[in-house]
Amino acid sequence: MHNDIKEFSYHISWRSRGRHNGSHSSTQRGMGMEFRGHTTLLSYPDPRRIDIRQTIRDPLEQVYVRIFNQKSATPVFVMADLSGSMGFGKQSKIELASQIANSIAMSATHNGDPFGFIGFDDVVREDWLCTSSFRPHQALELSKKLSKFIPESVGSKGLQDANRYLPRERSLIFLISDFHMPLNELEDALALMMQHYIVPIVLWNSSEYKSLPEFGITSVTDSETGEQRTLFLRKELRASIIASFEARRAAIEALFMRYDMPPFFVEDTFDADALTEYFHQFVAA
Amino acid sequence: MLNPSFYFNTPWVLLLLPLALLPLVLNRAHNQRYSWVAMLPKDRLSDLIGIVLKTLSVLALASIIIGMAGPHSQQQQIERIGVGAQIAMVLDRSASMDDPFSGGDASNGKVGETKSVAASRLITQFINSRQNDMFGMITFSNSAMYVLPLTENKVAILAAVQATAGNALFQTNIGSGLTSGAGLFDKVPDSGSRALILLSDGGGRIDADTQQKIREWLDRLHIGLYWIVLRQPGGLSIFDTTYVPPEDSALPPQIELNEFFKTLNSPFHAYEADDPKSLAAAIADINQKEKKPIRYHEQIAGKNFTQLFYLLAALMVGFLLLVKYLEVRTWD
Repeated sequence: MHNDIKEFSYHISWRSRGRHNGSHSSTQRGMGMEFRGHTTLLSYPDPRRIDIRQTIRDPLEQVYVRIFNQKSATPVFVMADLSGSMGFGKQSKIELASQIANSIAMSATHNGDPFGFIGFDDVVREDWLCTSSFRPHQALELSKKLSKFIPESVGSKGLQDANRYLPRERSLIFLISDFHMPLNELEDALALMMQHYIVPIVLWNSSEYKSLPEFGITSVTDSETGEQRTLFLRKELRASIIASFEARRAAIEALFMRYDMPPFFVEDTFDADALTEYFHQFVAA
Repeated sequence: MLNPSFYFNTPWVLLLLPLALLPLVLNRAHNQRYSWVAMLPKDRLSDLIGIVLKTLSVLALASIIIGMAGPHSQQQQIERIGVGAQIAMVLDRSASMDDPFSGGDASNGKVGETKSVAASRLITQFINSRQNDMFGMITFSNSAMYVLPLTENKVAILAAVQATAGNALFQTNIGSGLTSGAGLFDKVPDSGSRALILLSDGGGRIDADTQQKIREWLDRLHIGLYWIVLRQPGGLSIFDTTYVPPEDSALPPQIELNEFFKTLNSPFHAYEADDPKSLAAAIADINQKEKKPIRYHEQIAGKNFTQLFYLLAALMVGFLLLVKYLEVRTWD
């Protein structure tokens, strides 16, 4: 099933509190491998776990059992920006976002984690919502629909409300967007979601800034506000556009680093191995 | 010189002028979508080009519409001061004008040119030698024929003079010719120098009523009269004071007419010509006499600006096409 979707491996840096069996270290006592301590049989009446060595050593002749932590599942969410700017590019960013969401959904499923999808533009889109589930089919179907989605001329203010659709439990959230939004708006939204672990995936298209036409006149319309500008593309303007994007990249990076969530930049193509690498590099196991 | 106010042939077309604002309202067809325009750095040259393009497209449409409305300026009159006179020609077209001159070169075995041809040739020369005159023309035979009002248009006058060289007609009715000639000056502003040149080959009788009318009109309209008599070969001279008519008959008409003209209150001068040379001399004399500064109005035709507006529109559309050529087509 869905063999064409490339997966990546990920882990989390905190103890999951989920009761459901999974693959992440957890605070739940259960049938795990991680030894947590001893207690008496009376308080944890599981005779399979009787620790004979500890029982013999006890002068008070109590019967001890070992307690282990189980491996638990952690909710994984994809929060995808569906604003107008995501429709940009020959292969639109939305299409790329759908690829990434597929990969995350499959990875989460094979990791035994529930996966959910939240789409937002100026509001959180109820029709682009997929509740957390251990079976990925609904999410994959939604993602397939997403690859053909053409966004309207709307902004991305819905990010402010997205935290209401998240569980109370600390979750792993992949926030997929081009982050073409005012930084203070982004910061407000991030502050509301601090209880979760957010991986920002920044989608930029190289035709937005690097591979602009060499020379010519064109007029551009903003895909969200409808603002119009005429551009006389030439060497200086291209250089200053690229410089402006580089400055933006630095600003985004600085903002995310302040919240200790290093951004993952994706330009034109998504490489699942790079995301694996990202987890190895930035997330303590 | 330009009249600042425009006039339009079809002013209702101007109602379409608001259409010229369409480029401001509508988007360009090849607008590129861009993810976040706010990310693009401010560029003054680009902004300037944007404004220029919008303005050009508005102006191009506006000038096409104005051009369709047919703009022109009103015709104008300009007062000028020149040397010349208002001259009315009263030419005899009676049958006798087709006779050769008395001084024809019969000795060469050639018939001299006819009086009418010689007259028209010499008058043509006369007109060409004058600069700022206004000419009018009346011909007469049995009655006066109105040919041309007083005008500055030399081409028209010359054409009228050429036309008189054709075949002549009937009798001589000088009185009618003179009154019509004087009538040309009526309602025309007086330039200060007015002359009526009567060219005939002999006289005619004028009845007392007409005589009175001629006297009155010439006086009131300040018209000087020049009479050029083309004499018949061996004919009677009007200056012949010794001529005594046969008994019981009146004076010959030309002498009688000369006597009448002499009694006019307005200036009068008579010439007698019996060959083209003497005719030329008479005309040269008139030419000399009628050289006073005059004021006259020159008509300047209204100017049509339609082509200008279309040209402007074409230039602007051409520029826009050039920009179109520079337009980026391969974006994403």
